Amino acid sequence: MTTTSDATTSPAGESSLIPTLPGAAYVDPAVFARECERIFEDMWFCAAHASDLPKPGAFRTVQVGRESILLTRSRRGELRAFYNICRHRGARICLEESGEKARSFQCPYHAWTYDFDGRLVAAPNLTKMPDIDRVDYGLRSVHVRSWMGYVWVSLADDPPSFEGTVEAEVVARLGTVDKIASYDIASLSVGRRITYEVKANWKLIVENFMECYHCATIHPELTEVLPEFADGLAAQYFVDHGAEFGEDVRGFTIDGSEGVGVLPGLDEDRDRKYYAITIKPQVFVNLVPDHVIWHRMYPISEQLTIVECDWLYTADVVASGRDVTASVELFHRVNQQDFEACERTQPAMSSRLYRDGGVLVPSEHHIGDFHAWVTARTAPDAG
Amino acid sequence: MQLVCALADVPVGEGVRITTVTPPIAVFRTEDDDVYAIDDTCTHQDASLADGWLEDCWVECPLHASRFDLRTGRVDQPPAKRPVRVHAATVRDDGIWVELSDEVPHLPPGVTFEAR
Repeated sequence: MTTTSDATTSPAGESSLIPTLPGAAYVDPAVFARECERIFEDMWFCAAHASDLPKPGAFRTVQVGRESILLTRSRRGELRAFYNICRHRGARICLEESGEKARSFQCPYHAWTYDFDGRLVAAPNLTKMPDIDRVDYGLRSVHVRSWMGYVWVSLADDPPSFEGTVEAEVVARLGTVDKIASYDIASLSVGRRITYEVKANWKLIVENFMECYHCATIHPELTEVLPEFADGLAAQYFVDHGAEFGEDVRGFTIDGSEGVGVLPGLDEDRDRKYYAITIKPQVFVNLVPDHVIWHRMYPISEQLTIVECDWLYTADVVASGRDVTASVELFHRVNQQDFEACERTQPAMSSRLYRDGGVLVPSEHHIGDFHAWVTARTAPDAG
Repeated sequence: MQLVCALADVPVGEGVRITTVTPPIAVFRTEDDDVYAIDDTCTHQDASLADGWLEDCWVECPLHASRFDLRTGRVDQPPAKRPVRVHAATVRDDGIWVELSDEVPHLPPGVTFEAR
């Protein structure tokens, strides 16, 4: 970053302000349905951490767009993802958010029974219906893969290139995908998880994460640790720009106290810096020297979003039972402050005053790119 | 005794439904490589026990988790209440041979099999 005035001042001859999306984009169920169809159900979606599925038959159910998806592992330990729907009459198979099955997934309605590969293994009178193909009438699978220790699914028949979408977001932010490699995120363990129920449209949460114009006002603790945030420019504004810790700050913690020790193998020039990445459409990653904070959103409706946030530390730190409260507390507080702001904004989205939306100041203009992206993906002729 | 299948047709730890006899039977090969034969149809509802879960000398019905003892046919818990028949089984020349029981089978309500 050479000078900040370029980013906070409007370009010569241009307006300081550009419009946001209109209010209806945040409250109209039809808009949300379109976003589910064209975005969440058509891209790669970060659904769970690999450790949420520790063994064959361990499962999680997550909402991806408008669909309930069942995640599990086969007998051989391979990741599997299915629509959480019985192929017989459509009853939801698993009602719990997580759990473990010893033998099979069984529909609670007529007892159609599926193994962990989704194959139909049993059903009342099945032997009298030898024409039922047990694979054709098995649970319908969706694409699944593992990246950075997380389980990603795609409901698309033909998923987009993972490299060209998810990894490209990392490249756009850090310059190369190698830059994230030194954090070795896949090897880290979940030290703490906090789930937030946010009564706001998912786009308000993305927009909030993308800008730092609000930081000095609502994040006093964060701005204390990262003083440059007071200038209102997000770490996401520049390619591979890390926000430097304040001089007296010893770690990314609520009081600037020492963290749990720099991650092994981390590039030296990153040992006092904070990086943030938005992986559209629903993942936010924060990289700090001794841990990684990994958020994923599960948009439930146009006015409700579940955010699950993991604090990842080395397996040694987690196994040792070391107290990580000071580092968890910093971003937990940031999350509470951010989500409160989003919830304060949501009600106005249906106000007649906000029919044409609000405005973005120059340090927020890059949010316009996000709006353009959403608009293009959900355009009537898109896809 | 009659030859019902080749030993190689039944993987260790699994069961196979044999439909060449009436009513169909299930032949199991335990982890200890012992071979057992019982009626294939659960006595509670029409389900194939060969599709069930084999553990030691017990098979659990895939539908409602009643377990049957492969040695005696006894059931351990509801919803099934009546035992299945046990058929003497033996391995000879890489084949599985069975002496069918002459008891009356306990088929679930409404289930019949036509003799082939």
